[in-house]
Amino acid sequence: MLARLNEPQPALVEERFDGSPDRVNRQPVAAIREEWRVLDRWWTEEPISRRYFEVVLESGQNVVVFRDQEQGGWFSQRGA
Amino acid sequence: MIACILVPGFELQAALRSRPRLGLRPAALAPEAGTEPLLGPVTAAAEAAGVRPGMRLGEALALCPSIALVERDPSGVEEEWEGILGRLEDSGFAIEPVEPGCLYFDTRGVERLYGGVKPALTRALASVGVSWNASAGAADRRFAALAAAAIARPGQAVVVDDGRSKEFLAPLPLSLLPLEQPRREELGHLGVKKIGQLAGLPGSAVAERLGPDGRRAWSLARNDDTANAGFNDTQVTPRPPATDLAERLEFPEAVANELTLRRALTALLDRILARPERGGREIRKVALSARLVGGGSWRRTATLREPSAERGVLRAALGPKLAELPAPVLSLGVELLTLSESEGRQLALVRPGGNAICRLEGDELESRLRDGLRQVRARAGAGAVATVVEVAPWSRIPEQRALLVPRD
Repeated sequence: MLARLNEPQPALVEERFDGSPDRVNRQPVAAIREEWRVLDRWWTEEPISRRYFEVVLESGQNVVVFRDQEQGGWFSQRGA
Repeated sequence: MIACILVPGFELQAALRSRPRLGLRPAALAPEAGTEPLLGPVTAAAEAAGVRPGMRLGEALALCPSIALVERDPSGVEEEWEGILGRLEDSGFAIEPVEPGCLYFDTRGVERLYGGVKPALTRALASVGVSWNASAGAADRRFAALAAAAIARPGQAVVVDDGRSKEFLAPLPLSLLPLEQPRREELGHLGVKKIGQLAGLPGSAVAERLGPDGRRAWSLARNDDTANAGFNDTQVTPRPPATDLAERLEFPEAVANELTLRRALTALLDRILARPERGGREIRKVALSARLVGGGSWRRTATLREPSAERGVLRAALGPKLAELPAPVLSLGVELLTLSESEGRQLALVRPGGNAICRLEGDELESRLRDGLRQVRARAGAGAVATVVEVAPWSRIPEQRALLVPRD
């Protein structure tokens, strides 16, 4: 059975008023290092629209999370 | 040629061996405990009442209120399947079991023995046993052989001539392909209902629309392996000779006391370790099974970090599993599933200092890595070791850049 590497994993994220993450998996965000968007496959029935954030948590851990603008919900992802 | 033997609804058939009357009534294999309430295989009577395998329990009960739910019997399934594999091996077939109810073998080794492909398949079906309603198929590739076995009637063998697999597959329904139901429905809405229609589509369009699973299904439909990264559809890897080392203890009455069970386990380990067939080899993987009061069975396996033949080590690995027993037991059994390849182990005269792994080189390093991989496979199954294959490293979507392809 084939599996994809770096499949997105659901994450528990609390947002700020501007839509950026405030807490990731109950840990406060200390800094947002980068933000970018990915829009792809818009010509298909399953378009991809994601708003990515690379954040540093208060524990010092670096995490990449994104909000799925199509389906809704937050995910964390490695290799982004 | 590659041959495939299929036993439809094997788990249900095995569970019904002790209750043959249920086979004539609407019955289905009960959902697995702790999972979604979805039915397993169903009997012909249940199918006639509209019940289908994979249906929700509530829906099935609404359709057929008299349906009987047959409790799962993992130990019985294992025992019956092992019996079938043993009979086939005794008839000279080098088999690769995929799951209970499905196996492959290469006919090249037995064609001359039995006088051709068809007689070899007939012999294989006879070895499986008439009562199992098995069917057989042979073709130049595994998927075509599986499809041939799936469309053959019970007791029948379908042989697809060399080079004709593509034509054979073309009119068959998409349900034979390993595709999820929504994907199959999506294809159905697009008017693609036969394997040949899918094979006629451009591969890139299929991959774009259906993803990697769709691409694999497409390459299977075309009967080629250009997109089956890492898979060889034309080869069979026979299983190593089975150890067949098992001991069982029957209790005069049902036992639930953990202390008694632990004592029984110790006695079983003493008996099995003393068996001469073990030949001094150490144990890598061991199974503990029990027959439960009121029907049904229970089975757990344990893989040892280092192969061992010490009673204490095996007891420490299996003992805690006794606490997971869901009901009093009528019998307890121990099976040695995988043994080490050699009798002894070469110990280092001087323990290497520092980071030992960094000091390992060449053959020694390779042998340690191979040992580790064997341990992972024994613990987590054949598909546990995978290679990362880049498929679209340029993609902006991280999960589309690489796949994990199981390595045999």
